[in-house]
Amino acid sequence: MVRYALRDQNEIPSLSIELCDKILRDLERSKRPLLKATKCSLDNAVYSAGLGYLTAGSKKVSTELNVSSVKKMSRAIFMLEILLRNIKSGGVNTKRELYYICKGLLRQNKELKPLDFDEQAESDSIIDFLCEILEVYREELNCFANDRGGQTYSQHLVVTETLSSGEEAVIDLSKLGTSPFMPKNRPQNLTLSMTKNIEFCLVVESEGTANTLVANGITKRYPCIIVGAQGVPSNAVRGWVKRIQDQLSVPIFFFGDLDAYTLQNIFRTLKAGSAASLIRNKDFSAPDVKFLGVLPEDIKKYSLFSYDVKESDAVEYRSLKKAKDALENDPFFQSKRNKGLAKILEWLISEKKRCEQQSFFSIDGRDPLIFEKIIVEKIRSGSFI
Amino acid sequence: MTKKAASKSSISKNSTAEYFAKNLQQVGFSSPSKAVLTTLKEAVDNSLDACEEHGILPEILIKIKKTGKGTLKNTDRLLISVEDNGPGLKVDEVPMVFGEYLASSKFGKGRCSRGQQGIGISAATTWAVQTSATGAMVLTKTKGASKALSCLVVNDLKKNKGLLKDKKLLAWEKPHGTRVEFLIDGRMQLNGEGGVLAYLRGNLLLNPHLSLTYELPEMEPVTIERVSKDMPQIPEASLPHPHTMKLGEFISHARLFGSKKFGEWLKTGFSRVTDAELLRLIEIGKASQSLLAKSVSSLGTEEFEAVFSGIQEIELKQPSTQSVMSIGEDALSLSIQRLGEINLFAVVSRKPAICDFKPVQVEVAVARQAQSAQDADEPVSVLRFANRVPLQFDKAACAIVKAITTINWKAYGLKQSRSLLPNGPYIIAVSVISPFIKFKNASKETIDASDELVEEIRKALQQAGQKIAKFLRKELKARELETKTQHIEKFGPILVASLCRIVEASEERKASASEGLNKLLRSESKNAEKELSLVEEKLEEHILKQKKNLRFFSDEDKEIEQRRIKEEEKVEVSL
Repeated sequence: MVRYALRDQNEIPSLSIELCDKILRDLERSKRPLLKATKCSLDNAVYSAGLGYLTAGSKKVSTELNVSSVKKMSRAIFMLEILLRNIKSGGVNTKRELYYICKGLLRQNKELKPLDFDEQAESDSIIDFLCEILEVYREELNCFANDRGGQTYSQHLVVTETLSSGEEAVIDLSKLGTSPFMPKNRPQNLTLSMTKNIEFCLVVESEGTANTLVANGITKRYPCIIVGAQGVPSNAVRGWVKRIQDQLSVPIFFFGDLDAYTLQNIFRTLKAGSAASLIRNKDFSAPDVKFLGVLPEDIKKYSLFSYDVKESDAVEYRSLKKAKDALENDPFFQSKRNKGLAKILEWLISEKKRCEQQSFFSIDGRDPLIFEKIIVEKIRSGSFI
Repeated sequence: MTKKAASKSSISKNSTAEYFAKNLQQVGFSSPSKAVLTTLKEAVDNSLDACEEHGILPEILIKIKKTGKGTLKNTDRLLISVEDNGPGLKVDEVPMVFGEYLASSKFGKGRCSRGQQGIGISAATTWAVQTSATGAMVLTKTKGASKALSCLVVNDLKKNKGLLKDKKLLAWEKPHGTRVEFLIDGRMQLNGEGGVLAYLRGNLLLNPHLSLTYELPEMEPVTIERVSKDMPQIPEASLPHPHTMKLGEFISHARLFGSKKFGEWLKTGFSRVTDAELLRLIEIGKASQSLLAKSVSSLGTEEFEAVFSGIQEIELKQPSTQSVMSIGEDALSLSIQRLGEINLFAVVSRKPAICDFKPVQVEVAVARQAQSAQDADEPVSVLRFANRVPLQFDKAACAIVKAITTINWKAYGLKQSRSLLPNGPYIIAVSVISPFIKFKNASKETIDASDELVEEIRKALQQAGQKIAKFLRKELKARELETKTQHIEKFGPILVASLCRIVEASEERKASASEGLNKLLRSESKNAEKELSLVEEKLEEHILKQKKNLRFFSDEDKEIEQRRIKEEEKVEVSL
């Protein structure tokens, strides 16, 4: 099997042709073609403290051509043709659009009708299959997801974007008024610079709370960057925070709820990538991000409102189970480097409590700046992990 | 209070008949379409009960004719006629059967029968009197009589008696039987769950020994022959089972036995109590030899209570099946074929059990219709029966529907949305048989959903589901293999063509790759075909086995079987 180590998007067409040629040669010799793809799941995730993000282990998923797989392979090669055409012409599409493009083409050609997709999930899985075989990012196949989340505010950040035409667009975030800057799924086209030394970058789980901080003037009082993650960070947010880390070398903090979901699905994904994207975590994770809170000690220190996790409630119990699973199976939390984060999970399991990020507003209801004050106090006093 | 006010509020006494005449909606006459069905149902139930009690294989002829417009709004004047080959009625029985309320030969007898209280058919007479100023027109002849009695029965509501009018003796070619006709205002609903056809289908399913002819408006007459000549065993009234009683009933029961010894009373006054059970009572300290030797009349409430609680603690044999008139799996299997072409079915006849202190037997049939107009995503048809009587209204609150909807049918291969009826062209028929069915109302349309009964029905449905699942799994496997075989033919050429386009391969390469692919997949294809034929063989075997159990399956075989039954009947008559 050929190992398709990609260096540049321009290599995708030649790699694809090489792959197809290999399958064709196997068929000519009546040899069963075998496609091997990286297994993208937690049981094949490796975490090394040196790298700081999750990478793929040695496990592969093999797909051999037989009566059961012939449909999947035919669909994959059909989809590859469309994606290669896009790369050639510079066209981009979302997964949903590709689903309809396929349906349209299949309707035109009766012979291809058996390939038809009933649901988008079917075409999505074919796109993911291709990414795994070619070991490329979906974005490199010009297939983009919606650029969700990542609203960014700063008075001292300038972004220079290299457009596909080669021209450069310069965006000075201090000139955007109340509008945020929205990062794209392709952060490699962005170059960042500062007009003044930036003290910190804060990524807030709730985009609403990030907006509140900005509306109350945090960016005017402190040289900082505020980013709203909007839940689980999208590729756009992950790539964007990585860019801030690499190009500006400013301390980056994450602030979100105190529960297993936030720690594993949101914070770990931002810091070390996800199990589903093992092949692209390198460019979509920011290992230097620190967990600012909510920390277990904050509850006592600031008398925060917290909630008991009821074991009798199926949904709430799931969060406890998630914490246990993360400790047992997630190499990120098993690493010595992240011992502090693992301890938070242990605390969640033993105390059976959770606390929301907005509970900081309960400290002094009359002071609209209380949240900002505590955030800055925590950063300056080193109250983070 | 003034004199006038006092006289206004004075308490008057109404007869039972007057009560029912004013509240006919409580006994099934709440709408014009229900009136038709209830009238028909009461007449048919009476015919079937009468035939079975006298060991006669029932032959019923139903005719419904529209004779004009009804006097009630949006109704037709309908003549409903039900004729049977039953034993016929004596003159003095006729007014009691058709004109008197609560005159029943079956009430509280501790056995199963369709009718129980003796309300329904008298209510039909009242409805005919009220809507068309007629009554029940009866023609009846007993065995050996030279002429048949023809008369009109009306209710004397004040005295709760039936009155006979226009009495005549007529010649009737039938050796014995009864024909009752009701001229009523009603609306004929043919199709749907509450329709006449659903009612008739239900009766055909649960009465394999019934030959039925029906002539309905705008339809050709239909005759459906019996598929079994086994008469259902007429249940004997059985002794009460101690687990079916409450303490008060237990003590009242004792009062009937006067000075009988306590132990003797327990053994002879109840079913399933023997010396072994009495010993067990002594072992657990709830009775003593001396107590059992005392006469029942000398015992106090405390002593009764101790023994009663002891009896509830010890394990007793299930109640007698004698009081339960079951259909049996074989007869149900035969009968289900009369509902149309069925390509898959399972029947389950549970052993009698005690639910809510009463013996109950649950029987279930699940069948898939071969040609059904029903959409795969529509809910299944549910046929509900209580003591062989189809229940057609108010299904939502019924124990049967509750049991069906609380089963996970997906596990058995049927489609189902959570907590709803499963979907697909299936019929799920559930029959609950008990001498004391707990209905939610007097019109007997809904069985009370007690936890114990629902659980018993669920068990029967689960067993039927398991049987169905076996078959469905085989079908699924066959379908999967077929798809696999098709995959090779469909996708092979597409794959090669796409690959060639991407690498811009020559026609020669394309041809050689196609050949290579064919070679590769051909062997797999052969294996898949071999596997497929094996599975299909097994499937066929399974179907044959099922059909064999039914004794007939093709139309030809069915005819042969019908002829055989008829010939046997002839021989019997001539003997």
